[in-house]
Amino acid sequence: MPPSFFHHLHPPTIPARQARLGYTLAAGGLAVFLSLLLLVTGLLEMFYYIPSPDHAAASIQTLTFLVPYGGLVRNLHYWSAQLLVVVSIVHLLRVILTGAYASPRRFNYLLGMGLLVLVILLDFTGYVLRWDEGIRWALVTGTNLVKSIPLVGNVLYAILVGGSLPGAATLIRFYGWHIFGLTLMAGILLGWHIFRLRRDGGIALPPPALRPDHTRITRFELVRREIFAMLLATVILLLLSTFASAPLAAPISAANPVSESARAPWFFLWVQQMLKLGSPFLWGVVVPLAVLVIYSLIPYIFPKPIKADLGRWFPKSSRFAQGVALCILLAIFTLTIMALLPSY
Amino acid sequence: MRRHYLLFASLSLLLSLLVTAWQEERRAKPVALTPTLTGRVEYCLTCHSDLPQVSNSHPVKTFGCVLCHGGEPLALDANLAHSTMRGGKNPSDFSVVQASCGGADCHSGTAESNRNHIQRATTSIQATYAGAIAHIRYAFSDQLDQKAKMGIFAIQVPWSTSGITELAAFDPTMEKSPFVQAFGQKCLTCHLSAQPAQTGGRYDHFTGCSACHTPTQSADLSSADTKTATQIHMLTTAIPYTQCDICHNRGNYDLRSITFQPRTDLPADRLHDYYQPIAQFTICEWKLECVDCHTRTEAMGDGNLYGTKKEIQYIKCKTCHGTLTELPRTRTLSDPNDLVFRMADLNPVIDLKLGDTILFTEKGEALWNIRALPDGTYEMFSKANGGRFVFRPVKGSGCTQDPSKQDSGSCHLCHSVQR
Repeated sequence: MPPSFFHHLHPPTIPARQARLGYTLAAGGLAVFLSLLLLVTGLLEMFYYIPSPDHAAASIQTLTFLVPYGGLVRNLHYWSAQLLVVVSIVHLLRVILTGAYASPRRFNYLLGMGLLVLVILLDFTGYVLRWDEGIRWALVTGTNLVKSIPLVGNVLYAILVGGSLPGAATLIRFYGWHIFGLTLMAGILLGWHIFRLRRDGGIALPPPALRPDHTRITRFELVRREIFAMLLATVILLLLSTFASAPLAAPISAANPVSESARAPWFFLWVQQMLKLGSPFLWGVVVPLAVLVIYSLIPYIFPKPIKADLGRWFPKSSRFAQGVALCILLAIFTLTIMALLPSY
Repeated sequence: MRRHYLLFASLSLLLSLLVTAWQEERRAKPVALTPTLTGRVEYCLTCHSDLPQVSNSHPVKTFGCVLCHGGEPLALDANLAHSTMRGGKNPSDFSVVQASCGGADCHSGTAESNRNHIQRATTSIQATYAGAIAHIRYAFSDQLDQKAKMGIFAIQVPWSTSGITELAAFDPTMEKSPFVQAFGQKCLTCHLSAQPAQTGGRYDHFTGCSACHTPTQSADLSSADTKTATQIHMLTTAIPYTQCDICHNRGNYDLRSITFQPRTDLPADRLHDYYQPIAQFTICEWKLECVDCHTRTEAMGDGNLYGTKKEIQYIKCKTCHGTLTELPRTRTLSDPNDLVFRMADLNPVIDLKLGDTILFTEKGEALWNIRALPDGTYEMFSKANGGRFVFRPVKGSGCTQDPSKQDSGSCHLCHSVQR
């Protein structure tokens, strides 16, 4: 069988160890697949979504309840987005905990960090597009955080919100960022990330001389594995989308007070929890940015993993970086749990 | 990778696609309705097609559901669809009545157009409870006269001609007497703006307009059965005495413990069960419905603030029967736009025609269900069930009652039913 277009997107052969599920967790590949699914379902949603405060929530209700399979498309978009955040974080952790960020992959690691930030921003902007009571707290709090930044806060707020309060201008800006600005940037970074993956020699392994085995698999086998992972992911997404609907609430009504029981989207719950500690600028802006910076600097400031250690979990030579990453993640996880518990 | 892995994954996908399609097919097919008054499509009938039309004057094709009830017109998820309903199951609750029932063309128009029902009902003593509050505060020395000063909510009616132009909000926690405080805790469940004593079932309808206009005929008030509740999706002016009896039900007050023991039964035999043993009454009180005598302003107020029931109730025996020297007041209908035709149309117990002569009260309220007959008698059609009664005027009868003494006690000296 001659290789098809899709086969040609892959190298003719790769070392078998680069494609072990136990090593890669298929996280990077799944992230690409989920991104494509998000693109397709998002394009379909655009036929019904009306980005104006008066119509946004109603148009989502129309899509969800009245358009045949519209609810399914929306649920697929929602669950793909949630899973993309999870899969991206798993991918990042895999890279850190196997020391795969080491040179020459340091720059691609940064591209990946950029993609993670874009995924979270895309998720947040998409969440805001619901424009219903469920997102109101997060919208008001999130945009007010921008205002708390010294010197440039008010300017940034004006650029982001387009007025003194969230309104029609805000919605169209978030819509623009979601469907165009952030998506375009994510597309470019994703292409670059995959290009660098090939350029840097594929998934991290020790140099050939230090490899324990030299078996290789063909791109036919690689594509089969990818299809297998995609099929299973689709099954999970379909079942999630069929039996667990994406959240919806009543349209925003100025008459209603912002609900006190409202929560941030789950991936920002840790920030919401920290905001209870005081200074919004410190806990809502500085600390999250510091977390981002620390993660981004891992390949640059921590001891470099030795080449022979690559391709394995928890290599000794990069334990310090692993410890730092896991501690921060544990803190984020704990804060998230605390935010979910009513007593905190 | 083994080939059967892919086969297994493909079959799983096929199966989940079938499950998804099956779930999609199971979804209720949307039933659209675009009410002419709003022009906005709503899908409530997808689930609520079994609900009876609320009244002939609120046809569902004209009003739809959302105009009165609120809610999310496009949502087919029950929780979301119901999340923004006004007043929960009772859009006529006084906290939301203006949004649900109001509007210049609906029930908050002008007094001249006889559409100021919300203003009248929310200022009536049934809503303010001003009389009960004044009297209980007076009884326990928290105020030194019986003048109404406080209501369930603060309200001002600057144009009120009754002598009371404002009521402050009654706050039981600010009262000195523990009895008045207890009254505040226990006894504020029986007025039109109350938080009912219980929730669920028919209790959801016991405030606002529906407390009277959504009659619950039969007994089980504790039923939280929503099916039973849907059966009373009804607005009517044909209000049977059983509905009045839900609150005005001859239970017993106990001022020592500040409790009220309501009657739990709905008396089936009004003659024997309904009135207190010592009550004196005549056939009108047990054969007619409450609303046959107690007019709309008596029950719903006239837009002024009052302090006691006596200040707003004015119907006497002579309103219909006249006195020895006077016949009851009458009016011959000459205007096809007369309000009485609208009333008779809403509750068609009588076939009123131009040229008919009907009774009206000293305050000018039409007793549109009572018509003068050519032989000098009058026919009344009961508003709740259409029953016909023929009665004579006092004038020309053998009655010897002094025309200046016309309170019911005087009439009941002779005209009293024995049980």
